[in-house]
Amino acid sequence: MDQSISEDELIAVCGKVGKILLTSGAETSRVEGTVEYIGRAAHYDISCHATITALFVGVKNQTKTHLVKVRLGDFNLEKVDEINTMSRNFVTGQIDFNELKQTINQIDKKVIDFTWPEKVFGAALVSVAPMLLFKATWADLGLAFFVGIFGYLAAALSSPRIKTPYVAAGLGGFTVGFLAAVLQSLGIATNAGNIIVSALMPLVPGVAITNSFREIIDRNTISGVVRAVDALIIAGSIGAGVVLGAGLSGIIFNIIGGGL
Amino acid sequence: MKVLIELVVSFASTVGFGLVTNVPRRSLLPAGITGSLAWVAYYLVLQIDNSLILPNFTAAIVIGILGNISAVMFRVPVNIIYVPSLVSLVPGGILYLGMRSFTLGNEIRTGQYMFNALTIAIALAVGFVVAEVIFYRIKPFLLRFLANQQEH
Repeated sequence: MDQSISEDELIAVCGKVGKILLTSGAETSRVEGTVEYIGRAAHYDISCHATITALFVGVKNQTKTHLVKVRLGDFNLEKVDEINTMSRNFVTGQIDFNELKQTINQIDKKVIDFTWPEKVFGAALVSVAPMLLFKATWADLGLAFFVGIFGYLAAALSSPRIKTPYVAAGLGGFTVGFLAAVLQSLGIATNAGNIIVSALMPLVPGVAITNSFREIIDRNTISGVVRAVDALIIAGSIGAGVVLGAGLSGIIFNIIGGGL
Repeated sequence: MKVLIELVVSFASTVGFGLVTNVPRRSLLPAGITGSLAWVAYYLVLQIDNSLILPNFTAAIVIGILGNISAVMFRVPVNIIYVPSLVSLVPGGILYLGMRSFTLGNEIRTGQYMFNALTIAIALAVGFVVAEVIFYRIKPFLLRFLANQQEH
């Protein structure tokens, strides 16, 4: 059966595997490892070089190289898991190459997702940050639960519609900042700052920055630096969004206050 | 009592971030347990040593070891446990505060927050490396234990 796999086909499938893994948030060393693992199982000496922006797959001692462009994506860890399971099954011989190819195509197209209510509930849970327990008042944390929902919805709903990068994160920050400032001005919340920090937890790129340092320690310097800079800019756009949102609420309340 | 509340809230946080990042359903529970235990470790160390490095480092070691163990037991890539468990430790809030100070032109606070975020991120990353070194010592025993379990 090994002879039936052509080199081109294998490289194409490997490129697709690598692309799905990279855009779903796997580490670059894992991407390279998985692709080379599949290649070895198909009796080809595949070599793969992955950075966060591009992926090269080729057979050793050959001139042909497949280049796949990758864009930074959101986490979708379920896809990482499915690809991992597939490649493991392929290596142990439970499925053959054609089945692998089919399932990879399916995974690429399939929208694997929790339902919207589940994700929104998840974001709301994240919005109650353990970091602020016993520092913020309980009422503020309760409000953060709901403000976080709106912030997450603003970012998640706008990101597929707005092509300009970083605007979605800014919108999320804007919503959170605006709502928190309004709540404080109305006298419902005691400290808008605590609500903002807590409710931003699902949006803020903390995990990304930690992963970037893991990559740098792993000597994937390029990917690490790209991730770190990306995380910094996301944090910056969220920060700017919050400042604008809180400022807008201040202006509105000033006008209303002047009118009264 | 306080520890119990911390445990519950961090468990909820971890599971919540698991939902946001789409982890496979079977890894929600192990990730939640890993995340909450790591947070409790962070909280307890913080009572003794009120600094940034040691508590985060300890928590990362807990996540690293428990995460690798559950990755083997539940057959998932280890990153799937790491990402949700990290959410409550990670310096996202501080990074945001730093960039906000930057937007407002407050350079001293920007420097402080950025420095803190960098310290935490590096403490966590180094903690993972140490945890993985420890885990590769435990791994043979774990595999033997699992093999025994399957026989019975």
